[in-house]
Amino acid sequence: MRCSLGIDVGSVSTNLVLLDEKNNVIRTLYLSTAGRPIEVLMEGLKMLQDEFNDSLEIIAVGTTGSGRQLASVLVGADIIKNEITAHAVAALEEYPETQTILEIGGQDSKIIILKNKIVVDFAMNTVCAAGTGSFLDRQAQRLGIPIEEFGKMALKSSIPTRIAGRCAVFAESDMIHKQQMGHKVEDIIWGLCQALVRNYLANVAKGKEIRPLVLFQGGVAANSGIKKAFEEELGLNVIVPKHYNVMGAIGAAILAKKHIMQSGRKRTNFLGFNTTLRNYEVKAFECKGCPNSCEIIQIYGNERLMARWGDKCGKWSSSLAV
Amino acid sequence: MKIGIPRALFFYHYYPLWESFFKDLGQEVVLSNPTNKQILKNGIEVAVDDACLPVKLFHGHVRDIAGRADVIFIPRIISIEPKKYICPKFLGLPDMIKHNLPDLPPVMDMTLNLYNTKLNILEHFFEIGKYLNKTRLEVMKAYYVSHKKFSSYKKHLRKYSVTPYEILTQKNIKTIKPDFTVLLLGHPYNLYDDFISMNLIKKLQKRNVKIITYEMLNEKKIVRGTKKLTKDMFWTLGNNILGCAYYLLENRKIDGIIHVASFGCGPDSLVGELLEHKVIRDYKIPFLYLTLDEHSGEAGFNTRLEAFIDILEGRKFSENNISSHG
Repeated sequence: MRCSLGIDVGSVSTNLVLLDEKNNVIRTLYLSTAGRPIEVLMEGLKMLQDEFNDSLEIIAVGTTGSGRQLASVLVGADIIKNEITAHAVAALEEYPETQTILEIGGQDSKIIILKNKIVVDFAMNTVCAAGTGSFLDRQAQRLGIPIEEFGKMALKSSIPTRIAGRCAVFAESDMIHKQQMGHKVEDIIWGLCQALVRNYLANVAKGKEIRPLVLFQGGVAANSGIKKAFEEELGLNVIVPKHYNVMGAIGAAILAKKHIMQSGRKRTNFLGFNTTLRNYEVKAFECKGCPNSCEIIQIYGNERLMARWGDKCGKWSSSLAV
Repeated sequence: MKIGIPRALFFYHYYPLWESFFKDLGQEVVLSNPTNKQILKNGIEVAVDDACLPVKLFHGHVRDIAGRADVIFIPRIISIEPKKYICPKFLGLPDMIKHNLPDLPPVMDMTLNLYNTKLNILEHFFEIGKYLNKTRLEVMKAYYVSHKKFSSYKKHLRKYSVTPYEILTQKNIKTIKPDFTVLLLGHPYNLYDDFISMNLIKKLQKRNVKIITYEMLNEKKIVRGTKKLTKDMFWTLGNNILGCAYYLLENRKIDGIIHVASFGCGPDSLVGELLEHKVIRDYKIPFLYLTLDEHSGEAGFNTRLEAFIDILEGRKFSENNISSHG
């Protein structure tokens, strides 16, 4: 089977996706990055290899997410794309009419505005990560509710408790306070969902025009409470695509295939499952060239230097073509 | 005498004038080193928490130059053109520095206030001259020469569409056959400092983007642009930013706008909102708002920049190309 591979290395999850030649999703993997991006990526590749044995032929590879550079070196990617473009491409593949994408991930939230199938505007959360996946995770943990149940819990409520959603720290203390006042947990959770949506619309969307079709993707889209809160606040139907949590990886795979076709190259840069799983090693050092003291990261594969980055001046990174 | 000039804030505006003036009066000019991690750290360490990033950085540059200069030049800048002010932090800058850094060499903090008339600039230089024991005639001569040089420098920027960055850092960023033209807005001391702007200019150049900054427009054009505002903008830099944006948008000469603001900047927070909500909504042009802060999170910065360039590409090459005013 000829497939394109998309890899999204994010702060919280590392996702891998296989698409067939018609861009149908064959297999998705949603793995927790757990602070070990390299190991998890390798595990993911091994899982794919074990599952498909030799029946798999990779024709294109794309990487995205905050760890896109790293992933690209380790597997040999054809294209490295930012998350915003990747998410938009994946959304358009499934819903060509999309005009707005609400994306909430582990530590990022974004809004992407599309018009006539191209991105015309976007915004990302700046200094505040309130309302992103990591915060919800933490609250679920604190309340002793599995994160999978969090959204369903919210839907049980009929009277939402008002929660201050401006800041993650204040939201938490407000929740504790409301608990101590005797509010029911489901009301608090539903109130939290509403607060986070308000915060998102005020701080990320910032008055951008939200027109249908509205897609909600990223890990947090699993939370049906947030989805409902968005629908109520916007007065619009919000669609959660089937593969909402791996949309970035899907976009990267689509872009990689397109890139291969357009550039007229016959072969992918993919190093192959066997070579990718070779010995790699990361060596870091602090450059003493100037007071910036940049931390230089060097990635070695089979004892050969594959990539180097981390410097501000380009002395180290440009001495080696990535 | 060795006059130390910190490579920060109005260095990026006035340096050609200052350099020529001091040299003509027979003084030696020494500059602090280009910004690096240590300079920024030294600045943050001593500056008050509430100061904006560029002011904190300025502290670091003063510390960097302190050991190598007989006197440090930190003019008290109030206004650099009639009927407009500069951010109030500049007014108190010499005091802030002297207070936070008690063991400095003497500071030359002559007032520059052109609010009432441009002619006051002579008063400013006379005061400097007095400090350096120069006669009024010598000062007049030196000012005449350096003013001429400064004017031709500004003319050069406009005529050849170069940014002060290229001249002050002596780097060539000419793009041959650029794919896009982007208006780069922001305070010069944020844009042209490679460390603070995380190599923004170099990154844009790498993506074959031609950069326009307000220094490339003559005053008349900026004034014409500001006519579109319902109310006068009272800060010079904010005024230049908005006037330049309006003028170029009206004349449809740009593919997109990048606005760079530093965290904690009061005027920028207002100018940024005005730009984003008024200008961009009316003209429907790709707009990117980049905030710089001392934590220098480069990942998010790059993601935004890359996505922005994708938007420019999408608009240019898409089959369903929509007009930039659609």
